[in-house]
Amino acid sequence: MHESALVQFRSEIRHFYLIAVANIVFAALVMAFGISVLVGQAVSMYETFSTALYVIYSPVILLIALVAALTGFSWLLTGVRVFEGIKTIKDDLDEKGREVSDEALTRLIVRMLSHYRDNRAIIRTMIVVCTLGGVSSFLLGILGSLEFLSVSTDGIVFTLNNYLVIPFMLLALGVALVSLTSSCYFSRFAKVWDERIGKIEESEALLKETLERDRR
Amino acid sequence: MSGRRTAFEIYWEILVFCRTPQSFTGIINRCDLNSKTGQEYLGFLVAKEYLVEVAEGDKTRYISTERAGEYTALFSSLYRKLFDTAPRFKL
Repeated sequence: MHESALVQFRSEIRHFYLIAVANIVFAALVMAFGISVLVGQAVSMYETFSTALYVIYSPVILLIALVAALTGFSWLLTGVRVFEGIKTIKDDLDEKGREVSDEALTRLIVRMLSHYRDNRAIIRTMIVVCTLGGVSSFLLGILGSLEFLSVSTDGIVFTLNNYLVIPFMLLALGVALVSLTSSCYFSRFAKVWDERIGKIEESEALLKETLERDRR
Repeated sequence: MSGRRTAFEIYWEILVFCRTPQSFTGIINRCDLNSKTGQEYLGFLVAKEYLVEVAEGDKTRYISTERAGEYTALFSSLYRKLFDTAPRFKL
């Protein structure tokens, strides 16, 4: 029983570690994306008021970029907190090598459960933030690159602004895809661990009975 | 070990740590408890005879009794069983 539990625990820790890393990388990308647009808009604002109005900045894009930068920043901070906890557990597990005693494995399981209980609310928020971030990124990627869009009974016709926007569009779609995937895995992870916490609560009655049994 | 733990997880941690004689300060440091809650947990375990107090010079140390083995074994098997059966998480 110990071997299969160890293999499964090790695999889950590694998979969750990968998701936590991907989450941090894409939070940083969202923040960088927001900041780069903010800087671009700041330049446009300066040119709008200093030149002959050839360039007009968009307050809507400015607001969206500001929200993206701030969301990315707070997403990054919370992501790092979840990542640090899982990294410590993963490092301790890797340090023990292939042979992990029953006691050490149980201790690591208790630590992971404790880490999950501490970050349960954050993980739930991340599921929502990743979904919203993914959808927003997808829409920004599509809208930002379209010059003309026509939907009729004959079909959909669209024209891209410029070939230069294709890399930007692909980046935005990439961020969207990873955010949505991340959200999906976070929610699967939360579902599995919530069920485990439920099982522990069920077995507490047995632990209590064993602990309070009077043999005198 | 810190973070949100159940009382049963804390009892297990104390009993496993006290397989070798430990001081009160050593136990509360290891299990990340404050003096008041540490006293409550140790009081319960001593009252239930899972721990005994041993005098070593002018110091008191705590050591797990044989009874503790049944609880720690049950606890370990229940927690490891969580990973032997569904649900399972994978990418």
